[in-house]
Amino acid sequence: MNALLELRGIRAAHDGITVLHGVDLHVRAGQVVALLGPNGAGKTTTLRVAAGLHPAQSGRLLLGGRDVTGADPRDLARAGVCLIPEGRGVFPNLSVRDNLLMMTFTGRTRAEIEDIAYGRFPALARRRSQAAGTLSGGEQQMLALARGLATDPAVLLLDELSMGLAPLIVARLYDQVAEIARQGVAVLIVEQFAAAVLGIADHAAVVVRGRVERQGRPDGGLRDELSALYLGSSA
Amino acid sequence: MTSMSGETRADRFVQELSELRIPDPAAARTTLWLRLGATLMALGLALAASAYLVSHTTQNPLDQRDGLALGLGGIAATVVGAALFLRYSLTGFLRFWMARQSYDLAVLADRLSERDARHDLTSTDPAPR
Repeated sequence: MNALLELRGIRAAHDGITVLHGVDLHVRAGQVVALLGPNGAGKTTTLRVAAGLHPAQSGRLLLGGRDVTGADPRDLARAGVCLIPEGRGVFPNLSVRDNLLMMTFTGRTRAEIEDIAYGRFPALARRRSQAAGTLSGGEQQMLALARGLATDPAVLLLDELSMGLAPLIVARLYDQVAEIARQGVAVLIVEQFAAAVLGIADHAAVVVRGRVERQGRPDGGLRDELSALYLGSSA
Repeated sequence: MTSMSGETRADRFVQELSELRIPDPAAARTTLWLRLGATLMALGLALAASAYLVSHTTQNPLDQRDGLALGLGGIAATVVGAALFLRYSLTGFLRFWMARQSYDLAVLADRLSERDARHDLTSTDPAPR
């Protein structure tokens, strides 16, 4: 199977300052790719470019082999690209159920959406009438993931899933992500905390100052390089 | 995620993308149109005001007619600018507002149908309000 998501030589800027200097990356169906790197490396921008939310100065964005550079992010979302942003993006004043029902724009019925969400995350079913803002961080992240799944994604883009969560919760969430990938979804995860994601990743890429410095299987060598990167010592 | 026909989600994704119409990015320069609209609005008003001054400070009918033409041009620019500005500033907001309205209506319809389903149609009691 060819890559479902591919970035070729992507350059992108914020306020005229180039933050991505030719990023090359690809994710196949059923594959989990971890995009790692320190704060400010350009990971989130890469994800936003992949979702069509941030324009690329140059380079190409390919989805399912088709060049979709410059396409409307809404069209990409309708086709099956789902971005779960950092900070979860749930509506805090709406109940869990109402948050899920916002996904009916995809054409799915309310019952289907609730079945998907509660089937995958039974904890949400018990809190369906509770305001999303009063859920724990882990439950909010579950809700964000459930909403993403309700869109029937083919490409799932996750930004800092572990942000502010206990390691045990993160491990459970990543188990779910691995399960989602096994169903044929291409998953690209941006993470600052490498240990959390490398357990499920099939492939990892390290971004430093807007460049992919190294990518490959998340083996010992890559972990050593990451340690060096974060701790500032030679591997 | 394989469907009954053996088609995977990835296959459907590729199919849907092949049907996707990708507009020319130049046609979607919302910010540019928004700025142009605002500029035209301001420019039109300034033009109309200066036209008034031009025609007011002279007794020469030719100059006054120039002022009139300038003023009308300014008003036309303001109208076009306002239309552009509204088109590109309000559509995003209105789209969300409409989605919210239709969602509220759907919730209301659900509540009403649930209430009707609960109400015993053979009873002589009026439906609860």
